[in-house]
Amino acid sequence: MLSFIIRRLLLIVPMALIVITLTWGLIRIAPGSFYSAEKKLPAAVEANIKKKYGLDKPWYQQYGMMMWNVVRGDFGDSLKYEGQSVNEIIRRHFPYSATMGFLAYLVALAVGLTAGIIASLKQNSAFDYGSMSLAMLGLSIPNFVLGPILVLIFSLWLFWLPPARWSAAGLVLPVITLSAIYAAYIARLTRAGMLEVMRSDYIRTARAKGLDEKTVLLRHAIRGGLIPVISFTGPALAGLLAGTVVVERVFAIPGLGNIFIQAVLNRDEPLILGIVAFLSILIMVFNLLVDISYGFLDPRIRYE
Amino acid sequence: MTRISFMKFCTVVMAAALIISGCSSSEPSRYFGSMKMPKDNVLRYISGSEPASLDPQISTGQPEARIYGALYEGLVDYHPKTLQPIPSLAERWESSPKVDEFIFHLRKNGKFSDGKPITAQDFVYSFRRGFDPEVLSQSVQLGYFIKYAEAYNGHEMFVERNGKFVTENDVADEPAAAAERQPFGPETEFHTYLHSPSRLTVSDDPLKRAQAVESTPKLKELLKFQAADLNNPAGLAAKIKDGQDALSKFLAANLSPEALACAAECSDAGKQALADGLNKSADAGSLFAQDWFASLTLPEAAQKLADQIAAENKKRADGNAKIDEEIAELTDAAKIAEKEKTKKKPIGKLAYANRFVLENMFPEEIAAASFIPVEAKDIGVEAIDDYTLRITLRQSAPFFVGLLTHQFFRVVPEQTIEKYGKNWTRPENIVTSGQFRVKEYHPYDRLIVERDPNYWDKENVHLDGIEFYMIEEQATQLNLYKAGEVDAILNHSVPAAWIEEISQYKDEYMNLPENATSYYSFNVRKPPFDNSKLRQAFSLAIDRVSLSKFRKITKPLYFYTPTGIFPDYDKAMAKVGEEIRKQKGISPEDWEKLQKQFDPARARKLITEAGFPVIENGGKFECPSFPTDKISLTFNTTESNRQIAEFIQAQWAQNLGITVPLKNQEFKTFLADRNAMRYEGLAQSLWSGDYMDPYTFLGLHYGVVNDGGAGFHDPKYDKMLDDANSELDPQKRYELLARCEYYLRDQLPSIPLTINATNWVKKPWVKGLYPNPGTLFTWKFVYLERDPAKWDTDVNEIMERSDPQVEEQLKKLEESLVK
Repeated sequence: MLSFIIRRLLLIVPMALIVITLTWGLIRIAPGSFYSAEKKLPAAVEANIKKKYGLDKPWYQQYGMMMWNVVRGDFGDSLKYEGQSVNEIIRRHFPYSATMGFLAYLVALAVGLTAGIIASLKQNSAFDYGSMSLAMLGLSIPNFVLGPILVLIFSLWLFWLPPARWSAAGLVLPVITLSAIYAAYIARLTRAGMLEVMRSDYIRTARAKGLDEKTVLLRHAIRGGLIPVISFTGPALAGLLAGTVVVERVFAIPGLGNIFIQAVLNRDEPLILGIVAFLSILIMVFNLLVDISYGFLDPRIRYE
Repeated sequence: MTRISFMKFCTVVMAAALIISGCSSSEPSRYFGSMKMPKDNVLRYISGSEPASLDPQISTGQPEARIYGALYEGLVDYHPKTLQPIPSLAERWESSPKVDEFIFHLRKNGKFSDGKPITAQDFVYSFRRGFDPEVLSQSVQLGYFIKYAEAYNGHEMFVERNGKFVTENDVADEPAAAAERQPFGPETEFHTYLHSPSRLTVSDDPLKRAQAVESTPKLKELLKFQAADLNNPAGLAAKIKDGQDALSKFLAANLSPEALACAAECSDAGKQALADGLNKSADAGSLFAQDWFASLTLPEAAQKLADQIAAENKKRADGNAKIDEEIAELTDAAKIAEKEKTKKKPIGKLAYANRFVLENMFPEEIAAASFIPVEAKDIGVEAIDDYTLRITLRQSAPFFVGLLTHQFFRVVPEQTIEKYGKNWTRPENIVTSGQFRVKEYHPYDRLIVERDPNYWDKENVHLDGIEFYMIEEQATQLNLYKAGEVDAILNHSVPAAWIEEISQYKDEYMNLPENATSYYSFNVRKPPFDNSKLRQAFSLAIDRVSLSKFRKITKPLYFYTPTGIFPDYDKAMAKVGEEIRKQKGISPEDWEKLQKQFDPARARKLITEAGFPVIENGGKFECPSFPTDKISLTFNTTESNRQIAEFIQAQWAQNLGITVPLKNQEFKTFLADRNAMRYEGLAQSLWSGDYMDPYTFLGLHYGVVNDGGAGFHDPKYDKMLDDANSELDPQKRYELLARCEYYLRDQLPSIPLTINATNWVKKPWVKGLYPNPGTLFTWKFVYLERDPAKWDTDVNEIMERSDPQVEEQLKKLEESLVK
């Protein structure tokens, strides 16, 4: 187990470096630079800028400098936001994304699991059909459609909730928007997983031992039935915490997703690289956590 | 099953939506959305994108400008309606008769937010800092009118020869007659220096400098080694050392490590040779002086370099072939010359370095002169006393005071900046000079500012504070506005799809012409549009009135300067136009067509004349010979840009029979390509005026390097503009500028299309906030009106209507002007 974890952790480092290299290459291929504007800069100012950021050096030197900084965990200063370091920007804005994402995750889990389990226990009932159609709807409406619809109803017609910006009340709509698709997915996965497990031999054995239905369900069925859910929600949680571009932009949430889009549009290379590195590591770590959790949930899985 | 319940669900949702909407909007509302007024006396304003910094001197953006307007004070500020300069920290000012020099009298009660007084020295510091090449200000061009500011910002150097500075007149082809100068303010040593003949400045890069010397015969002649130089051998030695240092720097940057070892040797050898030469000079006298460098130093240095390289060559006999080849080239001057002539193959770096050393580095011209960097203290800004500031320009610029409203010229706190460096704008460190000071800053969300108790005019700041929200999505901005969460939004914020609806709200929709134009520039450097007839034809084939109807909010633009923004200039244009019409003997009808730039028949005739016959075929036009595969219309990807491009594409197809391919690009890619002239045919451009004078538009096509985007350069046009700007009578100057504009319209480097519109909304209780041509505000005029009877109505007329409170405040401010 321990050696498995160490192996996987060691793998994360080269993976992250590859991701960073590819991202850096893509930024470099794209024409235009962070200082291009309607107004041309005087040649002298452009030269000064290039000198300050080392853009006058050959590409391999620039790549080397960039990699050296990355390895030391320092992405340097943002090109657009004068005097702000990339690390500081990520530290400042990640909590917004993480809070919103975590709330959405909880909502999705609560709604999805409840609906999925009940639907599986009352298969082919009205509740089953109703909740599963709703889940289908949740899956098929993209969040950039759902968000504005919610805003229209709850902010612009009813004036109940603010249509955007970071605040407790302002979080309600983006969290619902964000969680809808996950709740739907979780509900369907839970239902399918539970149905399968409930028909399996070990559940039959448990029942044959004379355990009451509640114990069968909570001690035996759920553990097995939730494995597909876990393998879905692990990476999903990473994605949710990392910030979601569309929802953050529509609801003006100052999270990483919003910053990331702006960084790309601004050609803010260090900021793009910093966020990409941060997100890729976050996602890889979460995948690892998911893999580890399998071992606890399903006694049949062992890591050598 | 799923599908059926989905349909059912949809029906239920739609019904619910209809019921809700039916309830809330059963009667057409007078206002757009919620009308709950904020309880606090705080304005809530969406300012758009996140500011690049809270340092006013670095970024050029308009969203930032509005924030800086609250936080920093300049010599002058914006008139709330006209944007003309009104007194701010400067109580009053006067200009020299030639309008190339200004004296500002500062008020004595100006204070920073930490309570320190603001003096003329603070302005001197701020201006010098703005031009500091290390600060990397992107607005710096605006200030290049200030004497030597451009040279300082560009790391340039004065040229000194025998203890005297070389002036521009010394090397000009036609030296200008020395103008008589009338005294302006107290005469100081610095002032005398500024008014001594303008010094020549050259690049600090040795290569560029050598090229400049080479291409200016008078300068070369002037800098040539002269017998008199021998009177000061010590000085000469120092100068030679400078040259060698520059050489070492160049070599270090350009040579491979192998060659570098040789170069170091060579440089030492050069030093030795020079020292020998100097020792000999006492005896050899003027004879030596003539051939000194050419006959002694140069061959010796070159020989040494060649020797070293030959040795190196031997050592690496089986080394890499590329270096061998370079070295072969290096030691064979004839081969270099041959290569240079045929240009078959680029010369390698080493060979290039050698040629450079031979031809540029050690010519006597360079060695005999000193180059002295232009420093911050050299630029034309002077504190005559604590409260008097004098600014000296390199040319007449009657519009200069208007420029000083810009954020770049606002005063910043020296002590804070020197103490915290780049961290000075952090909320815990920042010191500001404006009507408001920073209270809270949450990047990407909000910046809250509060009235500064140290502000000199705090009694006239009506708001307790402003909340700036940094939000970019247009739909989100309008949602917040409709929900009553904000009081006003920045300009250009109503998306095309919403305009029909929003424009019904006449008390809120702020849509007036802007000091900004849209146009398509031609690539005049490449065929086919190097032909002005073709350019005329493409312009004459566009119906601009329909275009603006289609766009709903813009107005047609027939020239380069937007009409309706500078009323006196419009008059000058009409007057000059009439003169030109009579002079050319054009009938009023034809003139009208020309003025409106829409005459498809003439356009077809022009294209036919240019060699691409337009054929009429069953009521449709065709122009089969026109090379549409060689051109395209490039624009940056937005929905409205695409609509405009398609509209104009259709106009050309209909009127000329030419279908121009469209090409869209991501914004930064587009900018890079357009600024480097990497586009075929036409590219879209947008220009927001930097200051309130037609020159901000006419200057777009001035000079060799310009922002016009067309690659256009016409010395005659430049000369006409220079002449106009040295005219002192404002109306006469406008007439001269109008002549320039007519001339430019005949050359037509770009197709004028539309005058842009402000296009934003504000709640009617926000008063003193006007849809002025730049959407730039002096926030102390803004107040929240609690009495609905006094709210703004029908804001289309807002500029003509007077607000007693604003008028009174303006009058009080401007009293100081006539003191």
